[in-house]
Amino acid sequence: MSLSLSNKYITPKARHYLELLHVLVSRTLKVRYRGSFLGIYWSLLNPLIMTGLYTAIFGATFAKYYGGSILNYVLAALTGLIVINFFSASTSQALSSVVGNGALLNKIRLPVSVFPISMITANIFQFVMGTFPLLAIVALINSKSLINVVAIFLPFIALVMFCVGIGFFVSALYVFFRDLPYFYELVVFMLWISSPVFYPAEIVPKAVRPFLILNPLSPIIESLRQITLSGNLPDFMLIINALLSGILFAGFGWLYFHRSRSQFMDLL
Amino acid sequence: MEEAIRLGQVCLWRRTQEEFSYDLKKTVLSFFEGKYRQPAKKLVLDKIDLVVEKGEKIGIIGGNGAGKSTLLKVICGILQPTTGTVRVRGQIAPLIELGAGFDAEISVMDNILLYGVLLGFSRAEMQERARSILEFAELQDYELVPVKGLSSGMVARLGFAIATDVKPDILILDEVLSVGDESFRNKCQKRMDGFWDSHVSILVVSHSMEFIKQSCDKAIWLNKGGIELAGESEKVVTSYIQSVS
Repeated sequence: MSLSLSNKYITPKARHYLELLHVLVSRTLKVRYRGSFLGIYWSLLNPLIMTGLYTAIFGATFAKYYGGSILNYVLAALTGLIVINFFSASTSQALSSVVGNGALLNKIRLPVSVFPISMITANIFQFVMGTFPLLAIVALINSKSLINVVAIFLPFIALVMFCVGIGFFVSALYVFFRDLPYFYELVVFMLWISSPVFYPAEIVPKAVRPFLILNPLSPIIESLRQITLSGNLPDFMLIINALLSGILFAGFGWLYFHRSRSQFMDLL
Repeated sequence: MEEAIRLGQVCLWRRTQEEFSYDLKKTVLSFFEGKYRQPAKKLVLDKIDLVVEKGEKIGIIGGNGAGKSTLLKVICGILQPTTGTVRVRGQIAPLIELGAGFDAEISVMDNILLYGVLLGFSRAEMQERARSILEFAELQDYELVPVKGLSSGMVARLGFAIATDVKPDILILDEVLSVGDESFRNKCQKRMDGFWDSHVSILVVSHSMEFIKQSCDKAIWLNKGGIELAGESEKVVTSYIQSVS
């Protein structure tokens, strides 16, 4: 970030935005990890424990769908959970970010979008420090190719864009509807259960299966699994698929946020 | 004389919060029942014309709910006027309720950076200024203590020190002039006097008529969102007092 700030061609407005992002993200991370022993690695603990739990319960039954190997099931569940976890953490934090800073927005003129963005940026930082090394090791062992390690970032970028879009959308909607968190919890659960995270897609009845494709997280999980687990070179069709839907959601979320922004101040 | 602020025919309509349903469930239901209606709006500022010259000190008076703080928010750019124009030249320092941007969990030093950047300065600038801010607030020994470990008086001192450690062109005051114990109050007063003697334009909302009479060149009397009277502070204050008594 300090690199981009030293660029003198950047406009004062953009510079202030980046400065704001910097202090808000470091504030969020400091508050989150102050005095905690594991620090940033707490963010890894959740998917690891969940993976252990699923493996203990479903591992033996589902292993036959994963080439008879429990390890394959563990890795498939882990990659899925990492994606779902990133999504649910970053978007629910973004959801309350605008309303939570309402008092501040009433006192100082600030670009509102910096609040949801800062929440997602804090999660990106956590991912890069905590989860990425783990995924990189898995990808390196499976594919023995650095290309796959680098390619992990492509579905991740798609995931970030998807989260930015949803984060913008729900943070704006929460200004108008304060009971949104209850509904949103349900939506997250639906996305979570309908993406083949801990079960193989094959066990879903044929009639229901097409609906699973509607889940925007599916192409991201699929692409990440292909890169880290298959041992083949990255499949760019999958990546492009994921990126396109990410861009679509980001655009839609920003548009909604931007259009409703003028009404925020009356309700904060 | 140079112009610092110019408002032209500023009107502001706001949604009234009290009849607003913050409920997704209710809204959806009322939509299906066909009872949904557009939320009501209220006129809070009514055709405000205002010109502030550079260096002028202007007091804003009026009853509760007359739109005084709202007017300051429009000038700060926090609220956008529904119609009309707002032009501001120079940097504005808002001094509305000190300490609003603090995070109690992080250290005093981090809060200085956070608050400074929120107010529009860069981190590098704030790092340079941190010394003088800590010194003024008399909190040098507390640099690394989280703000929740400070007394409320200390927090107010810190807020005041950061917000006034600037050389703004326009200063916006919403009835906060001095904080802390007696000795710190004197320091605050000195710093405020410094602003008052300089070429800073000041807009102040106050309920103390004596203060407005003594320290402001001009006064504006707001009533139900419109300007009732504007002019020399003596005159405006006198007619305001007559109208309420």
